[in-house]
Amino acid sequence: MLITQLKQKDAIETLAKGKTVIINCHGCKEVYFPEEEAAELQKELSARGDVTEIITRDYICNPDNLCFQLQKFMDKINAADTVLVFSCGVGVQTVAAFLENKRVFAGCDTCPLPGFQGVTPLEFDCGQCGECYLNYTGGICPITACSKSLVNGQCGGSKNGKCEVDKNMECGWERIYRKLEKLNKLDTLKFQTKVRDYAKPFKDSQNAD
Amino acid sequence: MKLTELFQRGEFVVTAEVGPPKGFHIDHLLHEADEYLKGRVHAVNVTDNQSSVMRLGSLATCKALKDRGLNPIFQMTCRDRNRIALQSDILSAALFGIENLLCLTGDHTTLGDNPQAKPVFDLDSVSLLHMVKKLESGEDLAGNPLEGDAPKFSKGAVVSPCSDSVDVQLAKMEAKVKAGAEYFQTQAVYEPEKFIKFMEKAKQFGVPVQLGIVIPKNAGMAKYMNANVAGISVPDSMIEELQKDKEKTKAGITGIEISARIIKECRPYCQGVHIMAMGWESKVPDILAQAGI
Amino acid sequence: MEDYTKFRLKGKEELTPVLADKDNLFVLACNKCFKEFELAEEPECGKFEAIAGAQGKTLVGSAKVDFLCNKTTTAKKLQALLPKEAENVFVISCGLGIQTIADLAEKPVYAASDSIAYRGRHGMALTKTRCDACGQCYLNLTGGICPIVDCSKSLVNGQCGGAKNGKCEVNKEMDCGWQKIYKKMEEQGRTQELLNQPLQIRDYSKINYKFISEYVKSVREKRFEGYYGGIHPSERKELAEHLSLVKFPDVHTVVIPLSMHAGAPAEPIVAVGDQVKAGQKIGEAKGVVSANIHSSVSGKVIAVEPRLHATNGNVLSVVIESDGKNTLHESVKPAGDLDSLTPEQIIDIVRGAGIVGMGGAGFPTSVKIKPPKPVDTVLLNGCECEPLLTADHRVMVEFADDVIFGLKALLKASGAEKGIIAVEDNKPDAVEILRSKTADMANIEVVVAKTKYPQGAEKMLIKRVLGRAVPSGGLPADVGAIVSNISTVKAVSDAIQRGLPLIERVVTVTGERMKTPGNYIVKIGTPVKELVDYCGGVTSDDVTIKMGGPMMGFELSNLDVPVMKGTNGIIAVEPVCSEPYSCIKCGRCADVCPMELKPLYFTKYAGTQNWQGFKEQSVMDCIECRCCETICSSKLPIVNMIKIGKKAIREGK
Repeated sequence: MLITQLKQKDAIETLAKGKTVIINCHGCKEVYFPEEEAAELQKELSARGDVTEIITRDYICNPDNLCFQLQKFMDKINAADTVLVFSCGVGVQTVAAFLENKRVFAGCDTCPLPGFQGVTPLEFDCGQCGECYLNYTGGICPITACSKSLVNGQCGGSKNGKCEVDKNMECGWERIYRKLEKLNKLDTLKFQTKVRDYAKPFKDSQNAD
Repeated sequence: MKLTELFQRGEFVVTAEVGPPKGFHIDHLLHEADEYLKGRVHAVNVTDNQSSVMRLGSLATCKALKDRGLNPIFQMTCRDRNRIALQSDILSAALFGIENLLCLTGDHTTLGDNPQAKPVFDLDSVSLLHMVKKLESGEDLAGNPLEGDAPKFSKGAVVSPCSDSVDVQLAKMEAKVKAGAEYFQTQAVYEPEKFIKFMEKAKQFGVPVQLGIVIPKNAGMAKYMNANVAGISVPDSMIEELQKDKEKTKAGITGIEISARIIKECRPYCQGVHIMAMGWESKVPDILAQAGI
Repeated sequence: MEDYTKFRLKGKEELTPVLADKDNLFVLACNKCFKEFELAEEPECGKFEAIAGAQGKTLVGSAKVDFLCNKTTTAKKLQALLPKEAENVFVISCGLGIQTIADLAEKPVYAASDSIAYRGRHGMALTKTRCDACGQCYLNLTGGICPIVDCSKSLVNGQCGGAKNGKCEVNKEMDCGWQKIYKKMEEQGRTQELLNQPLQIRDYSKINYKFISEYVKSVREKRFEGYYGGIHPSERKELAEHLSLVKFPDVHTVVIPLSMHAGAPAEPIVAVGDQVKAGQKIGEAKGVVSANIHSSVSGKVIAVEPRLHATNGNVLSVVIESDGKNTLHESVKPAGDLDSLTPEQIIDIVRGAGIVGMGGAGFPTSVKIKPPKPVDTVLLNGCECEPLLTADHRVMVEFADDVIFGLKALLKASGAEKGIIAVEDNKPDAVEILRSKTADMANIEVVVAKTKYPQGAEKMLIKRVLGRAVPSGGLPADVGAIVSNISTVKAVSDAIQRGLPLIERVVTVTGERMKTPGNYIVKIGTPVKELVDYCGGVTSDDVTIKMGGPMMGFELSNLDVPVMKGTNGIIAVEPVCSEPYSCIKCGRCADVCPMELKPLYFTKYAGTQNWQGFKEQSVMDCIECRCCETICSSKLPIVNMIKIGKKAIREGK
């Protein structure tokens, strides 16, 4: 799951050089797109610089859709010096690949959210480690529920059951222990020392790099 | 000298801790170690970028202490190095004749003075112990053979006996023992009764445990630790004791008294003591004397 | 199309020891997402069952579920799925699904599968382009090619020494990312820009756990605010919300269709050449579910013939040439105060005035306010959740007394004790006025709801405000409620206080392509074209004009259609053009459907005319709010397909 945040205003202002076409992607707006802030900023850019078109579409990460949606704006895009895209990193890359000879810039930074693409942001996250540990941990993920992604138990940093990184976050291993305790399955924790295989997730995935 | 040998001999093993400076001049550190620790403690722990604050390296400091005739304990955390760097540093330690390791997970990067750093945590304390054991068997973690003799260490780990979730800590302690931990140093103890209770349960693992002592410098420090430091709780009565005679506390006398008292109370239940003086290294001799060690 | 399925079954060697001490297994599998949608069996249940079977394990059951990680829908299903005798639950899913089940089930839950990892995250379309969500986008420095994903080492200051023949040292099939970046920058004449780039040091603390966890919490709250699903389309109400109501100038001719309501068309009771007065009945309701029609002007009937209608092709209409005098018919006279009227009298007045639901559905109000079951609450829908529209908003602000009067009339007519006016939080002025005017009325409450579409839909509003769920196929009365629209109660008030039948209504003329937006009190039968012209016309040829809002409104290809009782807006917006692509099971439609349906199935079943499938997926519960279609990442015309399915079922297929 991806969320987009606007880059610093002065950083965006320096990007919008010459005739500028702005493309907003609202495809994941229900997840997060800083709609109002972006509109406000683009209004300012328009007032100051030479913004020739503001296009708002969705799912620009789909190259066919992108091409189709941009059709009627191609004259303006061809005449532009800069195309400024407000979307996640996938969207910006798709636009940059489609408009091969244009200076395509990103107006946003992209951050991860728990849950995969298309799924509502979830309270659970999956680190796609490729060697699911949930069988040892009562179904609570040590990779994502522990700040340090520890796989052999709690570090010494938790206080009152809270994580050292954030006092509002419950210690993942504390949760794991309590869950197994509740299920009367504490023996599960007597597993052989786990060593993560960072190559594994990529080894046999067809899309591996 | 390996700590394990001392435990085997039935010694009440005494260790202290030094923190390397943020810079490479360690004259002061060496001077203090010479003055207050040498001859009084069995070994000296050297912290590894403690609290995620970047400092002089633990390995180099260990080497310098060793050259001065002290017995260093090389503390290693998993925060800053992946398994390649960790194994490499363990071999380097063997080259320097360092015989004691203390394996920790390490504080998170965001808590230190370089919060932008990438937190590594390729391994954790348990898998680090496991990896040391593998190196000792003559192969690296991936199973590739080492050239020549395998290194041999005394492998230590830590545990928090007064943690608010002591059962979770015990589970982890068991995992560490299984992975190869041969001795434990504990987080600071201020509640002997909790420690004794803990030791009753920890006994089953058959591994020596050193009582952890952090000298309470003043009431403010005690309150801060209560609010912020994991596994530590200073009882109110002790805070009152620190507040009662401010001058005495300031001179370090209250802290020495409290520390010595805890050691005396807990001594029958454990196999050693580990003193984390945090700059008050000069008080270590008095504590040991008062505790009757 | 890439297949971004996120899990695969664990190997036998790993499953065997996990299974060793466990028996009476229940297998729960997630139907995969992010791949082409086929109806064939997708999860690897069979393989797992074979492994468990070989170990002599008893399988007490298995189930396949869509979007297992959707906690709300999964929780509802799980109870019924999980048999008592199941002791251990094995889940075949990605880590999200497994954790969801582990959290929901009281029994031990085990993972039978591993999540497959991809470097970075893919977009909604299944292409090879990925983003690692580093929180500090580098694309501006690198010509739009990502150094984090496209470089194996995620280097941010240029190529390492490991590339050979332009290929990466890690994978000889992979182009060196920095080589690609350099080439692209060179082609764009930006080499110097690349060379002058200041040193980059990645800040790993940019991905701030605290920010993310708080964000997740807020999004989830927004998502589940009041009821499941729904969306937040851009509101764009600022175009017209501040514009006071203006009486639309008289037009020369009005065309009044005899069907502007749900149910049977009215029968004309005037003939060509007749002189009529404003408010005079010109069409007689035919049957219970029908409505009277009145003239909105005084003048001469010049035609009674089929005329173009916004939604139904040609519909029998009465065409009246106005004499410009607007002389009221003698039947138009106040009916007295509420205290003096009986519930039956109120219902008669409402029926006589031809009042129907003015939110669009057009159900006769007189029928609605005489429910077959006792009701305790009348809910007034002041949400106006459609983007752009501001008609109800203006009515609430400018005719608050009439709205309250109308609500009181409905309370009396229906026998309900409590009246609630629900207003979305984007209309604080309306909330303030209504609150101050109802402050001393113990039985009337103003509830503010967070803006979310389709909040104004009856079932959603009842769930949001009363926390009651209207059963599948049921009516609001089944849960003791009546829902009415703001303009409708204003019309009820007019009918009682002024004796005026429903001959005018408030219409918002707006949209970013409408020259001068405004809110007008318009006579029924006024041609849309006159409204658009009066507002200065449209600003571009590239325009879509709709009657209603952008979500549920009807596109008008011909503006020679009249304003009707349910016409709340005329909008001119940028056309939405799209080409449908294959469904990729992204699950967003299921995520936003307020009726908790799985619209993706309808797109599949429409193709094969699988009407049984439509029924099984409860197509008749669909309220056609278009949330699914709006959010569809494959641009599928889902609602059209749903309409086809509904029609087939109504025809008994």
